[in-house]
Amino acid sequence: MLYRSEGIILRTQDFGEADKITTIFTKSKGKISAVANGARRVRNRLLGPTQIFTYARFILLSGKNLDTISQAEIINSNQEMRDDLEKMAYGMYVSELVDVFNEEGVASTEIFYLILDTFALGNRGLFPLATRAFELRLMKFLGYQPRLENCLGCGIIPSERIWFSREGGVLCANCKQQFTPVIELSLGAWELMKRLLTSDFSRLSILRPSQQLLDEIEIAMRAYLDFRMERPLKSLPFLMSLCSPNGLTRRIEVNE
Amino acid sequence: MSTSRYAKPIARLIEELTKLPGIGPKTAQRLAFYIIENSIEDARSLADAIIQAKETVRFCSICFNFTDATECQICSSTIRDHSMICVVEEPRDVVAIERTREFKGLYHVLHGAISPMDGVGPSELRIQELISRLSDDVKEIIIATDPNVEGEATAMYLARLLKPLGVKVTRMAHGMPVGGDLEYVDEVTLSKALEGRREM
Repeated sequence: MLYRSEGIILRTQDFGEADKITTIFTKSKGKISAVANGARRVRNRLLGPTQIFTYARFILLSGKNLDTISQAEIINSNQEMRDDLEKMAYGMYVSELVDVFNEEGVASTEIFYLILDTFALGNRGLFPLATRAFELRLMKFLGYQPRLENCLGCGIIPSERIWFSREGGVLCANCKQQFTPVIELSLGAWELMKRLLTSDFSRLSILRPSQQLLDEIEIAMRAYLDFRMERPLKSLPFLMSLCSPNGLTRRIEVNE
Repeated sequence: MSTSRYAKPIARLIEELTKLPGIGPKTAQRLAFYIIENSIEDARSLADAIIQAKETVRFCSICFNFTDATECQICSSTIRDHSMICVVEEPRDVVAIERTREFKGLYHVLHGAISPMDGVGPSELRIQELISRLSDDVKEIIIATDPNVEGEATAMYLARLLKPLGVKVTRMAHGMPVGGDLEYVDEVTLSKALEGRREM
């Protein structure tokens, strides 16, 4: 059966002589795998639309195991992300997170638009900020929203000093002993995290947080995502080698 | 397709041939019968060729292309231009560029491309070996990795690594396929072709 959907190419894998298997996050069906026949041949009409990060309108043919791309028309190629090494590395990290955390066939228009918003903000040179907002919101849409307002242990609103637990929430000074390891957050990082989670995505571009605040959130989210994932992300070492040498690689202070 | 209906040696031959890329059970069956129906000399020659290739072919110590000597013919040639190195992903790409008869320089085979989503990073490729080849004689590095996302990532990474060393780094042009129809060229290729236009 033929169906139409807009979609974003998350990854591609070579298949057979000149074909590709693409992983697409579609608006109507969520994550799907689809074969693009002949899409590695220079003159194939699916060559352009099946490049990673491409946002396109697809006409697909459903199959028993894999769907097949019948036609595709590019809406936004996101070429900027393939022309810049940092943007590409961030884009791959975002794509892999979506791929890892989503089962095939579970539709989520919220995640679909989140990916588009993240790519759009990233293309304006704000990928570190966009990625932190993406991580927080992805967790929210998947039902793992970290508890940021009240202490995970006792429920009070923390003041003065705040810690973040990899189990997904902030802690007050009294409760931090019950959750190890914990990461200390500055008040600024705590406020920024809340805004990244709740503010309108289009308004995030007006934020100009310091690298220090972004690093703090990066470390907290890394611990939280690692705790939720079954295997480490493959795209992360490359991103780390290019970006934030003082961010992710900085020692996480552990309260044993 | 079940191979149980064949005599055991034929079944084994079909099974082995099916392991080759692009060979399905039908093709394997056709090849197997062709081999069996031909003379024993032909079969022996084929088997010998496979064993000999497997035993003698290794990587060139300079460019890492396949060769049967320590250095490949291209690297040891005195006619070729030793000031230009063309960097490609696979040995097959050397053959493709050689077919053009346009390039007279040397090659360097990386044996892959950076593919972060598959966990392939720069350290898995022959990049250090390329850097150690740079000398005063080398004036230009032409990056001819595939025009896909992995190839572009590799090209950008290499450019970032090589440019500070004072060598000229160029990238193969992107553009419209010769003999094609402009109407059917995708937007990305067309915008790249516009970007890389040249004066006539």
